[in-house]
Amino acid sequence: MKPSAEPRTPTPVKIIIAGGFGVGKTTAVASISETTPLRTEAAITTASEDVDRTAHVPDKTTTTVALDFGCITVDDDIKLYLFGTPGQDRFGFMWRDLVLGALGALVIVDTRRMDDCYPAVDYFEKTGLPFVVAVNLFEGRLSHAVEDIRWALAIGDHVPLVTFDARVKVSVRDALLTVLRTTLERVTAR
Amino acid sequence: MPDPDVSLLRPYLLTSGRTEPIDRDLEIETQVLTSELGAASHASLSFERRDIVALCTKTMSVAEIAAILGLHIGVARVLVADLAALRYVVVRRPAAGLASDPAMIERIIRRLEAIS
Ligand SMILES: Nc1nc2c(ncn2[C@@H]2O[C@H](COP(=O)(O)OP(=O)(O)OP(=O)(O)O)[C@@H](O)[C@H]2O)c(=O)[nH]1
Ligand SMILES: [Mg+2]
Repeated sequence: MKPSAEPRTPTPVKIIIAGGFGVGKTTAVASISETTPLRTEAAITTASEDVDRTAHVPDKTTTTVALDFGCITVDDDIKLYLFGTPGQDRFGFMWRDLVLGALGALVIVDTRRMDDCYPAVDYFEKTGLPFVVAVNLFEGRLSHAVEDIRWALAIGDHVPLVTFDARVKVSVRDALLTVLRTTLERVTAR
Repeated sequence: MPDPDVSLLRPYLLTSGRTEPIDRDLEIETQVLTSELGAASHASLSFERRDIVALCTKTMSVAEIAAILGLHIGVARVLVADLAALRYVVVRRPAAGLASDPAMIERIIRRLEAIS
């Protein structure tokens, strides 16, 4: 076995793709990834978060969540990773890890089940990670006015809201570009 | 697929001989490449550690290692950190501050704009 002669190790960067169940996270990652998207599992031990001091034995439950990911090679030095993950309150533990150092996030919303994205929106608002809300157009058209969606999600004007189709590469590309431009605006405004 | 119970326990059992404390906060996008030492020591390693050293003759992320070897991401993180402490693999972690570097963000924007 030989290691590669001239190790080229790009620096990784990442964008998080979040949202409720079945909103199109896996589809979005698959549409734009240059490699076949992979899936891995993370075990989340909920007891590590809040230890019940009155209990002799901590009540540990382990949940497994799927994490989809794909990548886009930017150049020899930079590799962009896309991580798709369900946004749930109880996954907070993994989220901290996942989100640290991210460029930004895309929160996918299905307008038929808008509540599902609250935890993700809430989390990114709190942590200050630049994010964009992307409404996945399952029916091909918007069933609510954009301003109504904005109001329903309680997101401010500083959060861009776009519509997209998770199955279409250029549509996912545009949504990600909105994320990156939001991040760029944020860092240059400082 | 490795036995899930065994793969969850093993990394914690294998850490006794390590030379540096394990950094369990290794980011999952961290790039991993087998070192010459790792390649030379391949035969002396066991199970998942050997698999990781064999796999990473080509650079890949911790997340990819987990997916390809069917390991939980947390286990892969610990194993890679452990192998890195032993210098069997070299890791490239995300650079601090890179996510807020405008020039870098612009590079990624240009790359995405070229996608059709
Ligand atoms: N019509 C339509 N269907 C879509 C679109 N995006 C995703 N789907 C379909 O919706 C279903 C769910 O999409 P996924 O990408 O698996 O959603 P997910 O968010 O990864 O789901 P979980 O991982 O289960 O939380 C799949 O059957 C997709 O083919 C879209 O834009 N339009
Ligand atoms: Mg999915």
